[in-house]
Amino acid sequence: MELLGIDLAIIAPLLIIEAILAIVAIIAWFKTDETNGPKWLWLLLIIFISIIGPILFFIIGRRQN
Amino acid sequence: MQWKTIFVKEMLEDWRNFKWIWVPLVFILIAIMDPLTTYYMPKILDAVGGLPDGTVFEIPDVSPVAAMMMSLSEMSMFGVVVIVAITMGVIAGERRSGVAELVLVKPVSYLTYITSKWAEKLVLVWISFIIGMFASWYYVNLLFGEISFSAFLQVLFFYGLWLSLVVTITIFFNTLFKVPGLVLFVTIATIIMMSIINQVFSHVLIWFPNNMSSHIGGMLDGNHVSGDLWGTAFVTIEVIILLIIASLFSFRGKEMAN
Repeated sequence: MELLGIDLAIIAPLLIIEAILAIVAIIAWFKTDETNGPKWLWLLLIIFISIIGPILFFIIGRRQN
Repeated sequence: MQWKTIFVKEMLEDWRNFKWIWVPLVFILIAIMDPLTTYYMPKILDAVGGLPDGTVFEIPDVSPVAAMMMSLSEMSMFGVVVIVAITMGVIAGERRSGVAELVLVKPVSYLTYITSKWAEKLVLVWISFIIGMFASWYYVNLLFGEISFSAFLQVLFFYGLWLSLVVTITIFFNTLFKVPGLVLFVTIATIIMMSIINQVFSHVLIWFPNNMSSHIGGMLDGNHVSGDLWGTAFVTIEVIILLIIASLFSFRGKEMAN
């Protein structure tokens, strides 16, 4: 399988990791009651900004008590 | 016994915070991003387009050693930021919320409290780093050429020491300040200061911890561990021990509640 001449077998792990990261972030998003800032905005960030969105949510998104 | 209890509690907390999932994943991404984009740069340029016809790019061949060093340089930027971000609240946050008071009112020594948290973060960072570098090593071998397993293990050991120092610096500032954001800021500022000092005085301070990755590069090129690399490793370990002792004293002098 090739896309733009790039062997998909080589970049597949990258895409899978990105997907796992986003899924885990969404699970964490569901479990969090309070976030810093509007909660729905964080969901958009997690889904639409790949890699950076989930990381930011994990680090600063959740309100720790 | 108490040491183990706090250690296990800290593990459990990181598991519930999903840190045990996302930190290794992020380290994999940090480690493989640069070698992969470098390898595919000609194709990426093709696909993005916008270059006039007939443009010729001379892209030099990247050696396996250079590719592995790319992973390390990404680690020393983003990896360090992630490490500081996951460690910034480990004591500061508990002091702020009063949990530290609850723990220390029991017969738990400051040494136990600090070192168990420090050790748990080290385990998390080392495991994530090892997983990330394994991914990088795999891709470097696949795309650029061979790096021997023993050389790879040496990279892991020596660079892991540098990351351990980063964890220790963060823990130290945790005992000084009560606000996690401030811990993050001061730690990053300290590391930037250290790298400036290193750049200015690198000819004098050969064993300065920030020199670790350049010595590792030399080790990969020359295929043997130089005395300077060992010297840097020893200095790094000593600084780690001193910082732990320093954080013990600074923590002892602090009032728990505001």
